[in-house]
Amino acid sequence: MLVKERIARTLITAGGIGTILAVTLIFVFLAWVVFPLFASPHTLGSESVEALDATSAPFRFDTDEDRVLAWTLHRDGALELVALESGERIALTHPFGETVPVSASFSTAGDVAVFGFADGTIRVGNVGFETEMLDEAVAAPELHALSTGEVATRGAGVVERTTAGQLRRTTVGFELGEPLDTQNPSPVICIDHAVTPSGLSIVTLQENGALRVSRERTKKNLMTGKVTVSLRSAELAAPIEGAAPEVPRGILIDGLGQHVYVVFADGTTEHWNLADFSAPRLFERIDLIEDPDARLSVVAFVGGRRTLIVGDSSGRVDSWFPARAAGSDDDALLIRAQRFEPGDSPAILVAASPRSRMIAVAFASGSIALYQATLGERLLEIDGDEQAGALTVAPREDAIVARTSSRIASVEIDLKYPEAAVSALIAPVWYEGYPAPTHVWQSSSASDDFEPKLGLMPLVFGTLKATLYSLLFGAPLAILAAIYTSEFMAPRLRASVKSTVELMASLPSVVLGFIGALVIAPFVQDVLPSVLAMFVTVPCVTLLGAYAWQMLPNHVAVRWGGWQRFIAIALTLPIGVVAGVVLGPIFERAVFDGDVTNWLGGQSGSAFGGWFFLLLPLAALVVAVGVAFVVTPRLRSRSGRWERGTVARFEALKFVCGGVLAVALAALCALLLQAVGMDPRGGLVDTYVQRNALIVGFVMGFAIVPIIYTLAEDSLSEVPVALREGSLGAGATNWQTTLRIVVPFAMSGIFSALMIGLGRAVGETMIVLMAAGNTPIMEWNAFSGFRTLSANIAVELPEAVVGSGHYRTLFLAALVLFSMTFVLNTFAEFVRRHFRRRFSGL
Amino acid sequence: MSVAPEKPPREGKGAGRRIRRKSSLTSHGEPMVWLTGASLALCLVMISGLLGLVVYQGGRTFWPQEIVQVETLTGDVLMGQVSRVDTFTPSADALDALPDEARVRVEADMRANEGSVARRMLRTENFDLTGTHFDWIEESVIAAETKPEWAVVVERTAKGRFYGVPQAFLVDGEAHTVGSAATWGKFEEHHARILARVEQIHDLERDDLGHINSRIERQRLALREVELARGMESPEWIAKERETRALVEDAEREFVTITDEIGRLRTINDSFALRFETAGGGTAIVSLANIVRGTPVNRIGTAGKWSVYFDRWWEFLTADPREANSEGGVWPALFGTVMMTLLMTIVVVPIGVLAALYLHEYAKQGFLVGVVRVAVNNLAGVPSIVFGVFGLGFFCYIVGATIDDLFFGARLPNPTFGKGGILWASLTLALLTLPVVIVATEEALSAVPNSMREGSYACGATKWQTIWRIVLPRAQPGIMTGAILSIARGAGEVAPLMLVGAVKLAPDLPVDLGTFPYLFPERSFMHLGFHIYDVGFQSQNSEAAKPMVYTTTLLLIAIVVLLNFVAIAIRARLRRRFLGART
Repeated sequence: MLVKERIARTLITAGGIGTILAVTLIFVFLAWVVFPLFASPHTLGSESVEALDATSAPFRFDTDEDRVLAWTLHRDGALELVALESGERIALTHPFGETVPVSASFSTAGDVAVFGFADGTIRVGNVGFETEMLDEAVAAPELHALSTGEVATRGAGVVERTTAGQLRRTTVGFELGEPLDTQNPSPVICIDHAVTPSGLSIVTLQENGALRVSRERTKKNLMTGKVTVSLRSAELAAPIEGAAPEVPRGILIDGLGQHVYVVFADGTTEHWNLADFSAPRLFERIDLIEDPDARLSVVAFVGGRRTLIVGDSSGRVDSWFPARAAGSDDDALLIRAQRFEPGDSPAILVAASPRSRMIAVAFASGSIALYQATLGERLLEIDGDEQAGALTVAPREDAIVARTSSRIASVEIDLKYPEAAVSALIAPVWYEGYPAPTHVWQSSSASDDFEPKLGLMPLVFGTLKATLYSLLFGAPLAILAAIYTSEFMAPRLRASVKSTVELMASLPSVVLGFIGALVIAPFVQDVLPSVLAMFVTVPCVTLLGAYAWQMLPNHVAVRWGGWQRFIAIALTLPIGVVAGVVLGPIFERAVFDGDVTNWLGGQSGSAFGGWFFLLLPLAALVVAVGVAFVVTPRLRSRSGRWERGTVARFEALKFVCGGVLAVALAALCALLLQAVGMDPRGGLVDTYVQRNALIVGFVMGFAIVPIIYTLAEDSLSEVPVALREGSLGAGATNWQTTLRIVVPFAMSGIFSALMIGLGRAVGETMIVLMAAGNTPIMEWNAFSGFRTLSANIAVELPEAVVGSGHYRTLFLAALVLFSMTFVLNTFAEFVRRHFRRRFSGL
Repeated sequence: MSVAPEKPPREGKGAGRRIRRKSSLTSHGEPMVWLTGASLALCLVMISGLLGLVVYQGGRTFWPQEIVQVETLTGDVLMGQVSRVDTFTPSADALDALPDEARVRVEADMRANEGSVARRMLRTENFDLTGTHFDWIEESVIAAETKPEWAVVVERTAKGRFYGVPQAFLVDGEAHTVGSAATWGKFEEHHARILARVEQIHDLERDDLGHINSRIERQRLALREVELARGMESPEWIAKERETRALVEDAEREFVTITDEIGRLRTINDSFALRFETAGGGTAIVSLANIVRGTPVNRIGTAGKWSVYFDRWWEFLTADPREANSEGGVWPALFGTVMMTLLMTIVVVPIGVLAALYLHEYAKQGFLVGVVRVAVNNLAGVPSIVFGVFGLGFFCYIVGATIDDLFFGARLPNPTFGKGGILWASLTLALLTLPVVIVATEEALSAVPNSMREGSYACGATKWQTIWRIVLPRAQPGIMTGAILSIARGAGEVAPLMLVGAVKLAPDLPVDLGTFPYLFPERSFMHLGFHIYDVGFQSQNSEAAKPMVYTTTLLLIAIVVLLNFVAIAIRARLRRRFLGART
């Protein structure tokens, strides 16, 4: 017996505690996934090996993915291969032979290289790493002994055992195409190229001043499948006879082949636009260096070839990109987007990461700084004592490899998630090509050199917008309905009404989303003016009904006070709807120029109608308050001895006059605002989109009504009967008792009901996913769509790469939702308990 | 404001009335009461309107509508079923494009109806011939409208529906029988047999070929396991390799036999076809094997329509979906929903009850337990998508990936448990509904009067005996309510499932009685709620899919509402019993 007892106790305790732990695990797990986002980048260690002495900076220095091999193309045309493990130089070739190039440009990602020669020719080449898997059976015996991660040198390549257990040989391939003649025998002193979607674009500057852009056109004959390559050139600056022009610091062509920059050492930059290739235009001449004493020391592109990184002799590093001014169709001019934390000495080298917007900048003092170009943040600073001659970011972004005059030094780094840094998540970020810093969420795109934009603010905004609009619709409806149910309804009816509304709570939200998006949204779009008019007509008709009811003789009103009155109330709804259907189009013709949708789009009409419509509720409120404080007390004090019917007529008159007054007030204010020149369009209302906040407010309001209703009704019915009886016994009317006794007493319960409804609205997924249009924009416009945190998770998480910054950011979104609702609910619970204790004495 | 002259009291009891009147009317707040009443009425109208809409639209989906053939003034002849009617305002360009006579009539129509024109959407289908599924026709351009007696709507296995008038029954391409009535008689005579053969082909393909494939797959995995454990050149591997080769050869022979049989059945089926005359006057041939159901709607009468109606419902509940989920049935989704919910219940109820027992009976009631109780309660308010995120990150990517590493190394890099599946979905939803069960059970436990516990202790029972014999039986209905409420919530939840395993089309059910080990908890599954989202929003032909969405919605609501009603009924019974015990 005792054994059984003990087993039961252990089992239940273990199960209970286990369950509670499992529940906490959710929070812990989410936090655990999110945590690495906030870790700061750091270095893991560094090593260096001896290498060939190089007196001048080489053309190019690069290393492979696993960092087993590095190649250097020296100024004298020599190609040097070094095994990074041992520092052994495994090959030194001269692929150019006698004709050494005078200028060269290389792709950041990919293998295309273009060389310019002294005789005015250019050659397109391919230089890059090549890997092959070796057949274990054929491989040399000493390779068999290699264990995972170990490296051996074989010929002009390096063999390593991969983690999958295979033998992989890495070497450097070098291919050179035929010389292309520029028809100008002057040496090509500067060259740059970009691999654009339509082919290769090369920009060249020759010693005699000829600046020219050549585009490679690859045409495939559809019938024969034959590929023909042709070169089209456009001359930006003609050769100058006689005196040699000033040699620029660099010429650059952007990733789309549209913009060409010629950058001089004093910072002066010519910005050419090639949008019309046959007629290149000099867009602007701009000084990139502010400080008159400083000289521009280095200029390069960030990965994606759009943003320029400019370093000067004082150690300052800035980023520039072309952008249009907000809202204009003008030309995109260069603007300075970021000023990075400067270095201690002149910036001399820039290496861009092939996979992100990270750049490494080497300074003359030997230190190297890593920046996130978009955010303008310095991620890391690596100290060094020897000036780097060449710099590269390893393809996996796990190391920076620098080549000094006699050594190759690599520093292993762990960047963590720079694209999802806290500032990127919550602050506005100045993304490439944007006129100003903005909040943007755009996690993926079809193009390759795309930069993920992980600003959470549009999603948070969408969540708040959805919550606000649904509460605006749902909360008053639910609370008023709860008051009626608990205070003015026969108890027998109350139970069945309550379970009907509770039934609403059990409707799957996917059903509501479907109805909202595919039934209500198109319907509302068709009859928008009528729907908008109904917001006014339905309450007005109901109130009119109430005043009409008051005119009934007393004995009738008392006898019909039960379900008959409810039927009458319910009947005012269809009348209000009909009134809306009739009045909507009339209103539309009168003030919205015959078409609300066009009016909202800003295509027609004056501001008056919009202001009138927006101000009407406000005016009604002002008038109602005025009437309540000025007219009603007087009416009440005078009417004491009047007949009931007379009072009722006065009341009705008061209402009608108040209504007219409200309309007049709204119209007056609207006229004033219009005269001042203000327009509501662009703010609270704007272009109409079929799936919008109004629809979501309505459908999600529908979803939160039962929750708020049930909880509010519970707390209203919990009010002790004695309080009610006392109030009624003291001569208060039913309504006075409700307003002054019951509602204040149940306030905490109603408040916590609201909080819980709010929590539900914040996290609701399917409705917003289906009915909100899912565009992550930040507009208060009631007629535009949005994207919420929850819908965003549902859409993007299945596609997100596990462990990436994007994945962790989505977990962060989930954590935010979790915390928000948990805090809201706890707060609601706290309020409820607190007030319950306070009133428990009663 | 003019003051009305005071009227003398009409009757003797004026004094009493005057006092009452003093507080009357304005203090009754009639307008405000009406506003509250209107809110409640609006809530009730909304819920009944929504349910009414779903029931009406979902209920009428399968009702065979009559086929109309209309001839327009532009000379087009269209045949189909009216799918909806509305009014619109035609653009000036569209008006100009009409021939004169039609334009005059449309403009007259517009003048009569404030610029809008009535039109109807005709489901004309025959997609392979016309390239459209639907056509809008303005009522005023219709020149003639008929209901051809022998017009037939054919539901095909692919390419959507077909409307036409049967002309001839073809055997091997030769017209065997001519004339609508005779042709249709022949069709009805042969169709059942052909469907049986289609079913047979389906069985052969899925079961027999499927088994062979899974046998080969298992053998291949076994080989890979040996390779991983012993290496490629080891004697075990060589033996296994030989065994595999033999098995594959064996299987291939069987494969050929079965495909031959399938080919034979196909040839027989393919020899029968129907020739139809389409609306435009052309002809089209439809193979009998491609016909799921043919209905000469205009002939069959009400009884026949009801029979087709129920037949379609039956198909809806029991068949696989066709045509990118927009036709056919929802059997896999229904099965997936039920099985996922069942698995979830099996997990959540014992755990939830255990936790509630601990919190209520064993744990020392103090601040900490209070905090835990509030936390569990609040967990019910945490958005479901958050549970989905947790499920995906924890169950799929961590637990699942670990299981894969340990037991399914041979299948890597293809994940087995390391992706969404019905087990993970059930566990995720179990976590989601856990607070519901805990809260309901705790409520039920507190509803058991303490006197009963004390009585039991007084008789010498131990704590466990008291719980097992006294407390739990009394709390049972409350626990049942909690379980049913959690099932209802779980069955209707979709958002987390999108992350942890619900898919638009799962070829295999998570239960397969023909293949060992019969239960496949790692498989993805279909779910009614996700089906609604998918068909309603991701479907290419959304207009044609809409009726299906309504019907699926009706089914889902029916399940959820039914479960809720059961819970409410149990709760009512529990309350009665509890009240009985107190008095």
